[in-house]
Amino acid sequence: MIMIRAIVRPDKCDAVMAALMDAGFPAVTRINVHGRGKQRGLKVGEIQYDELPKELLMLVVRKEDQDFAIQAIMRAARTGEKGAYGDGKVFVSPVDDVYTVSSGQKETVV
Amino acid sequence: MKEVMAVIRMTRMNQTKQALAEAGVSSLTACKVLGRGKGIVDYRLLQGAEAGHEEAIAQLGRDPKLVPKRLLVTVVPDAKVATVVETIISVNQTGQAGDGKIFVLPVLGAIRVRTGETGEAAINEMTE
Repeated sequence: MIMIRAIVRPDKCDAVMAALMDAGFPAVTRINVHGRGKQRGLKVGEIQYDELPKELLMLVVRKEDQDFAIQAIMRAARTGEKGAYGDGKVFVSPVDDVYTVSSGQKETVV
Repeated sequence: MKEVMAVIRMTRMNQTKQALAEAGVSSLTACKVLGRGKGIVDYRLLQGAEAGHEEAIAQLGRDPKLVPKRLLVTVVPDAKVATVVETIISVNQTGQAGDGKIFVLPVLGAIRVRTGETGEAAINEMTE
């Protein structure tokens, strides 16, 4: 299985969550994070803001659903047609095993 | 080396920490997160919505509400993964939906900042 971690704008978070729900990925964990990107944050006048608030969305999907889920996130998280700096990043990492606590079952699928 | 990420109930954090320490895993990172699962709904709300009460329908919304949870992250050697998973399950299992999920991810490397040790030595809790 595959873990997708997407860093998105806080104001796009609801749209992404809804898009994921429509795409058939109800299970998502949301974490408040602060960070900076390639542009070294934002410069407003003399002040450099390098800890911009973002939301980290974490979901674990099957390997075959990976591209579909990423496309759903991309479409919803982008600002305007072309997108803008600060729209976020998506990271993909492998997951060896998945367990459900309530049943104690191993639920790993490829 | 594996990274074990567990999403658990807020109220079970202390017991989980204690049980993990007893199992020999004391190092962990935790944070408060919001999340949703396969879609659990309060049945009273659902009944209310079915009966046509507007307040219940408004509260139900389109999507399931986000539930506050604790995310617990720890990096352990391969040999300890089974122990950690079993400990977390035994402490957190109530048998109801919402108990949480555990993910096991591979980790390529680890470095202890204080000494510069790398690999398994960096996450070995027995040294000192």
